[in-house]
Amino acid sequence: MSENERNAESAAEKARSEDSTESVENKKYRAWLRGIVSALIVFTSLYLLQRLLVPKYVDDVVEGAFIAEYYGEEKDFDVIFIGDCEVYENFSPAVLWEQYGINSYIRGSAQQYIWQSYYLLEDTLRYETPEVVVFNVLSLQYDKAQREAYNRMTLEGMEWSPAKVKSILASMSEEEHFLDYVFPILRYHTRWSGLSGTDLEYMFDTKPVSHNGYYMRVDVKAARDVPKGRILADYGFGEKPLEYLDRMRELCAKKGIELVLIKAPSLYPYWYPEWEEQVEAYASAHELRYVNFLELQEETGIDYSTDTYDGGLHMNLSGAEKLSVYFGRILSGEMGVPDRRGETELSLSWEEKLAAYEAEKQEQYRYYGMKQ
Amino acid sequence: MKKVHKKISKKCAAALLAAAMLLVTGCGQAEKTIEGSVENIQPVDITSETESGQTENGDSKPDTDRGGAAGPDQGPETAGGAASDGYLFTADGVSIAMDADAAPILERLGEPVSYFEAASCAFEGLDKMYTYQGFEVDTYPTGEKDYISTVILKDDSVATGEGIAIGDSLEKLQQAYPEGKLQENGMIVCEKGGMKLCFILENDEVKSIEYRSMALE
Repeated sequence: MSENERNAESAAEKARSEDSTESVENKKYRAWLRGIVSALIVFTSLYLLQRLLVPKYVDDVVEGAFIAEYYGEEKDFDVIFIGDCEVYENFSPAVLWEQYGINSYIRGSAQQYIWQSYYLLEDTLRYETPEVVVFNVLSLQYDKAQREAYNRMTLEGMEWSPAKVKSILASMSEEEHFLDYVFPILRYHTRWSGLSGTDLEYMFDTKPVSHNGYYMRVDVKAARDVPKGRILADYGFGEKPLEYLDRMRELCAKKGIELVLIKAPSLYPYWYPEWEEQVEAYASAHELRYVNFLELQEETGIDYSTDTYDGGLHMNLSGAEKLSVYFGRILSGEMGVPDRRGETELSLSWEEKLAAYEAEKQEQYRYYGMKQ
Repeated sequence: MKKVHKKISKKCAAALLAAAMLLVTGCGQAEKTIEGSVENIQPVDITSETESGQTENGDSKPDTDRGGAAGPDQGPETAGGAASDGYLFTADGVSIAMDADAAPILERLGEPVSYFEAASCAFEGLDKMYTYQGFEVDTYPTGEKDYISTVILKDDSVATGEGIAIGDSLEKLQQAYPEGKLQENGMIVCEKGGMKLCFILENDEVKSIEYRSMALE
């Protein structure tokens, strides 16, 4: 073979080799691309399935929607309430605004445990620093989460943040798994057999179910035969709730927030005198304001024959508004929370909210066959 | 090589799809279901036949001077199909087992002195408290029915099947319930047949007696 032929052969071989290398690289690239596209399709499908299967909390059980609603707000609140149903059913931010110009929000949820309240406070502080945080003390009785369903109604609505992660870890029972919170489809996949039109309608949307976190009920069921509490073996609050109460107090102090402890005037669950003593002692020791509305029936004007919708467990609209009028006086008159009715933008925003508040009021009166 | 890559890609796609299908169909596990109402209670299967049922007398006869315990000559009826082989509380000839169907029991017990119901936050269904002379019966809902969750002895007019009542001494309690275990919180608990019989004492005197279902724990 001549030198030219050898060179040509060599060049051709080199070219073949380069082609081959490029071809292999191309193939690898295409394989990766196919893999990525396949994965994207699968994960998008799973995401859509998850959006379809998770509970929407827009009809029967709306309490699960409360936490998430906060994120759609203009976060400029002077007063934030945190706690369980004794806050979200017993105080009306609409009345606090109307009567005192107090801009407030209730970050409440069903059977919210104190550690969840603490992490919700941390979460809130990512966006704003209120002047006052109001915490209902009933949840001090719980040393551990009682029900996964309650956990989910508080935790699933939180935006992902270190606070949410910590709250999940603090709340999970042994049977629960962290991944089920990261990927709710792992938990809700069996809902497929019970899906309704609502699940489709609210796959990517939601409708407001509270009024700045307040859950309205206008109906009336008088309290009667409320049982006294059972005798307990131990009336002491557990270590965990006390630890989180300390953390809440310290966090508020660090941020210059005034922490106010309250006990709503709910007749049940029973609020033991032994618990009351402990809270009073704690509040006194740490110079915290503590308002027990159970002892202020006369002052607030609460009438348990007309101001509760479930026999004394929670206030109805009438009761919530009475409490708000009374508490607003403390917030505004004694604690100096500002009257912001002079702020145009805020006032306009509240006009809309008050209209919605009034509209729901009327709708509920009609639904329950009541006259205002 | 091309064929090998195709096979691998197909296998990956098939695996991912299978994973997705498994997620949708429930993985074959019996799990608690959180549905639209986010109901999380495990249904308690207590649909047993009504038995002739007997109180848990053990070796000691119940104190017949006190109401609420079966007399020695009476054959107590266990209404509602006592499903558990735990401790039974008997009142007016009606034996009450934890997690039993409440309806027939309540019917036999008659009109309560008072009644109170409490809805849980967010959930449908009510916890109900029926107070009778000397004791209280609490129920919890599962599905369409209510089941017995707790019986609380309120005063010394009633006693347990083993003859212990409010005000009895620790010594008497320990004789009646040698199997009782002292908890950290000072309560003495007898666990049997999926339920607990709990005694709270103060100054070595029985202050509280509760029969408790473990279904809700």
